[in-house]
Amino acid sequence: MTEIALHRKHRRIRETKKDRIFNGINLIFWIIVLFIVLYPLWLILIASVSDPDAVLRAEVLLWPVDFSLMGYEAVFQYSDLWGSYLNSIFYTLAGSALSVVVTLAAAYALSRKFAGKKLVNLAITFTMFFSGGLIPIFLNVVKLGLYDTRAIMIIMNLVSVWNLMVARTYIQTTIPNELYEAAVMDGAGHFTYFFRCVLPLSGTIVAVLSVYYGVARWNDYFTGLVMLRSRSLFPLQLVLREVLASLTSTGNSDTFFAAYADNLGGLQEALRKAEVAKYCCIVVSTIPAVLLYIFMQKYFVKGVMIGSLKG
Amino acid sequence: MTQLSTFRKKPLGYRISLSIRRDWQLWVLLLPALAFFIIFCYFPMYGVQIAFRDYKAALGITGSKWVGLKYFEKFFSSYYCGRMFANTFLLNLYGLIVGFPIPILLAIMLNQLNRKRFRGFAQTAIYVPHFISTVVLAGMIYLFFSPTNGIINHLISASGGKPIYFIMEPGWFRPLYIGSDIWQNAGWNTILYIATLTGIDPQLYEAATIDGATRWDKIRHIDIPHLIPIAVMMLILNCGSLLASNTDKALLLQTSGNMATSDILGVYVYSVGIAASKAQYSYASAIGLCLNAINFGIIMLVNFISRRLSDISLF
Repeated sequence: MTEIALHRKHRRIRETKKDRIFNGINLIFWIIVLFIVLYPLWLILIASVSDPDAVLRAEVLLWPVDFSLMGYEAVFQYSDLWGSYLNSIFYTLAGSALSVVVTLAAAYALSRKFAGKKLVNLAITFTMFFSGGLIPIFLNVVKLGLYDTRAIMIIMNLVSVWNLMVARTYIQTTIPNELYEAAVMDGAGHFTYFFRCVLPLSGTIVAVLSVYYGVARWNDYFTGLVMLRSRSLFPLQLVLREVLASLTSTGNSDTFFAAYADNLGGLQEALRKAEVAKYCCIVVSTIPAVLLYIFMQKYFVKGVMIGSLKG
Repeated sequence: MTQLSTFRKKPLGYRISLSIRRDWQLWVLLLPALAFFIIFCYFPMYGVQIAFRDYKAALGITGSKWVGLKYFEKFFSSYYCGRMFANTFLLNLYGLIVGFPIPILLAIMLNQLNRKRFRGFAQTAIYVPHFISTVVLAGMIYLFFSPTNGIINHLISASGGKPIYFIMEPGWFRPLYIGSDIWQNAGWNTILYIATLTGIDPQLYEAATIDGATRWDKIRHIDIPHLIPIAVMMLILNCGSLLASNTDKALLLQTSGNMATSDILGVYVYSVGIAASKAQYSYASAIGLCLNAINFGIIMLVNFISRRLSDISLF
């Protein structure tokens, strides 16, 4: 017992009293912060599996009350929601894959020296600080014949300047120039070097870019709002907006829920279930993004740190 | 030919064409991204001239009649112009004042957590709200702040207060907007600061410990001086969006009741230019152009001042 204590004593300088007070305050600070961050999310989760009446009386505070899955059952009936869910999956997968490839290729090019690089850099950075504005962008899309198509949901916001710079910094700082010189010695061109050397070494940044682009696309509703008209093309967030619109003051948009009355045991019952179904919609739509983050988290934090050091 | 002239650089156009011939593979890799920026960023910049024209779809951009500053005058003489400028500016200004220091505070405090697992958990947790969509965030606000069955109003009535109709009150629009913004993004915005703090040489801390510095001393004399350059950079970047608006979020939180404070420029551009049944393209473009020009001016100005005063600048 004393031996261990002695050992500890010698390992490092003992913390002063002031430091221990500081640590205490810091711990309390973080408990409060984590409560503020996580409680709203917990509340949504437990409300989604509780009884509608308990939710309305605000009895659901810490644990689910009268556990029931009727909200999720109702959500399964909302065919509009599932159609848009598939759309969103398609837009997110196809769009982010394309974004990652295009960004990485350009980031590699910008990490090398060539004449005209400064000009290209300037032209790209400039778009971060100045844009034509919503209406010219919209009219441009109409003129290109891309209004109300699936293609625009993928091409719009294809490359983000910020991500491009993060990727460039990553390539510059983690892949040694000697590798390039060696590859060129062996007769490799830029294509060979990029595909055979840079890509295999860029796992971390690919993970980071996938999460950035994937989540941005999954969560975006504004592009769809401006660029789409056909309901069959709507992404999830746009339909979700209608679902949640029934929460606004006037409450006149209960049409969304009323439309499914036949399958849910009459109008009264459908609207009662809708009280929890709203929470379920939130859970169902948020889970893919949060899961993606949690799975990628290991690479993610590391990659973001490297990329942002100089970015 | 003197010796000097052989060292003179050839014209840029010549050098670029040479580099395209020699490094064509590099340009092919760059091409898709470049094409995207040209088509989706620079084409609209060319199209912005419709702000000075009476745009008719049938006549095209250059075919429409040139009307000069007509739409700018119309906008600046419109009744709500002043209110919208004030609303946009104040929303962003308050957001900046309240929201800017919080990520710095979080990063410093996180850096001081010495329990590794708890620290990892805290760091993971504070990023999570960033992954929630704007629509869901707005939905959560509506649910929690609902006048009849929202949890906040239940708490208010339980403690003897009168329920507040948050989303219809002009006075509550800014707190809701800014508060939810902080909740969603403050954690995420710590990334840059945490990266800076992890880059600090540990010897500095060791030396400070030996000299008897407390944790608070180390924050004051090591952490904060290291964070200042990056914080100033972020401040400059944020100043560039003082008149920009997160249109998508404001659009979701705007109700007939809170128009007095929620009526901001970005939403107005959307509603007259896109949502209106008879869209006024030229008028909306003119407003958008004003906004972008002012934002661009502000960021240049702040950047210039900062460079003069502190040598810290974006470019």
